[in-house]
Amino acid sequence: MVEKVLSLKRKQRIAVAWAQDSNTIGAISKAVQEGFAEAIMIGNSQAIMDVCRANDIDTALFTIVPSDNETDAAEEAVRLARSGEADIIMKGLVGTDKFLKAVMDKENGLMLPGATLAYVGAVEIPGYHKLLFLTDLAVIPFPDLRQKIAMAEYAIEMVHKFGIEKPKIALIGASEKVSRHFPNTADYVEMCKMAKEGKFSDCIMDGPLDLFLACDRESVKIKGVDTPVDGDADILLFPSLESSNPFYKALMLFAGGQLAGLIRGTEKPVILMSRSESEKSKYYCIALSCLMAEV
Amino acid sequence: MVLKSLSDLKAIVAGGPMRKLVLAAAQDQHSLGAVIRAWKDNVIEPILIGDKEGIQNICATSNYDITGIRIIHEPDMDMAVEMSVKMVNNKQADVLMKGKIGTSTLLKHVLNKEWGLRTGNLLSHFALFEVETYHKVIAVTDVAMNIAPSLKDKISIINNSVSCLIKLGYVMPKVAVLGAVEMVNESMEATLDAALLSKMNQRDQIRNCIIDGPLAFDNAVSLESAQHKGIRSEVAGDTDLLLMPNIEVGNVLYKSLVFFAKAKVAAVILGARVPIVLTSRSDSEQAKYDSILLSAAASK
Repeated sequence: MVEKVLSLKRKQRIAVAWAQDSNTIGAISKAVQEGFAEAIMIGNSQAIMDVCRANDIDTALFTIVPSDNETDAAEEAVRLARSGEADIIMKGLVGTDKFLKAVMDKENGLMLPGATLAYVGAVEIPGYHKLLFLTDLAVIPFPDLRQKIAMAEYAIEMVHKFGIEKPKIALIGASEKVSRHFPNTADYVEMCKMAKEGKFSDCIMDGPLDLFLACDRESVKIKGVDTPVDGDADILLFPSLESSNPFYKALMLFAGGQLAGLIRGTEKPVILMSRSESEKSKYYCIALSCLMAEV
Repeated sequence: MVLKSLSDLKAIVAGGPMRKLVLAAAQDQHSLGAVIRAWKDNVIEPILIGDKEGIQNICATSNYDITGIRIIHEPDMDMAVEMSVKMVNNKQADVLMKGKIGTSTLLKHVLNKEWGLRTGNLLSHFALFEVETYHKVIAVTDVAMNIAPSLKDKISIINNSVSCLIKLGYVMPKVAVLGAVEMVNESMEATLDAALLSKMNQRDQIRNCIIDGPLAFDNAVSLESAQHKGIRSEVAGDTDLLLMPNIEVGNVLYKSLVFFAKAKVAAVILGARVPIVLTSRSDSEQAKYDSILLSAAASK
């Protein structure tokens, strides 16, 4: 992914809201040094400089914009993106709710008119043969059909950016069976029908599928289920935040996964990560957002 | 005591009397293999009920030596299940295992009002995972049985699991109630239930364990994550039992642990008079064996 971004030979300007934690500063400085980003750090300038000094990072790598509190910092980052002074915004140490509030503000926010806000992540796992894209990982607790359609479209669009023309998207359930006990499966049937009618961007869609049928060819053979996804999914679409959240966290904590992700549905890419995320994950997010910002 | 690995179950089994396992409709390749291996390892004493010829044919082609194993001939599968359940009911067997029949057929007999194995408790699925990157075995419930448990159901599921853990030697196991977030959020019912379960535990309405929730997955299993978020909890980072909000969540988590985290797994159905082993074709040989081991350890 990083190679792909470097090959674009373009720098994106990133505004970071409340940019004073070492993981964020470390990730940003790496992206700046690699040459695919410029950064505007909004936050307590003293705190930012202290972190830089403690970690041997040159403060000249980025512009520092002083701000007194996290809400102001989030609003300032959004303002910079709206005015065209920044191409991407990123959450630093500010709380997710405050950050999203600034992004979603009807008058001064970054929302595309009528769009659904959703999170698409890309995860690299030693036990899988390619990057796996996941949605929604952060925003919609229980997506309805309209929101699921938007989630799928965002994920497909992201995978296309990686040069995969016909991504395989698995709509995840507890089994491959459609059942009235699982209302989500009715949405999945509808979506597969839409996909057949060409209502999504180029993709191969199937669901409901359980995780094994989505990601493991061997299971597809054993169970004898006929699915075009065939254990080779590029994208997993989850029925709820409750299922996607422990899934990706288990990948990161127990399976050596690395996650990068982005908010979609906004005018410009928005990087939102848990404050506790590692520097490496944050760095990958920056790279991913630069790829998506490329026009 | 807490389990560090699934092989710790062997010591528990070795410390008790030999458990009898009845395999219902035993003419089934994949369950027979695991049962015979467990028998050879002195984990259980099997009783095979089913089509005798079918059983012998499988054993002959797979080179299983079954000299000395008790086989009861009953070619009708439904009858074979009924006979197996009755055998447990008469205390002639300590563990019930599913052979070549559907789960629903087995459960129909287990839940029979006259001679079934009901205890008044809800039946629930209980799984132990050995993950290299966690410092001990972690139990997860319910990933396969109850679709969308109510608060009342969740209490039963916790009680089933906690009594099982206690039989395995745990004292006051730590229970994390999983949510998508660690905050109580009125639009996510699972987080409300989690808060209620925690409070009920504090008030001794749910005993013999320490419950905290909602906890997001990372807070439940990583102290570092919990500390980063400023969560003060006895359970965070040291979870013994993870309660799922529903089967959709449980199924995905279970499969991701097995497939991506290369976890070893053992599973059993709790809540009936004896532990019930339900394995499926897609389970590995090892998982079937470990499930038998777990059920033997959990039957007291």
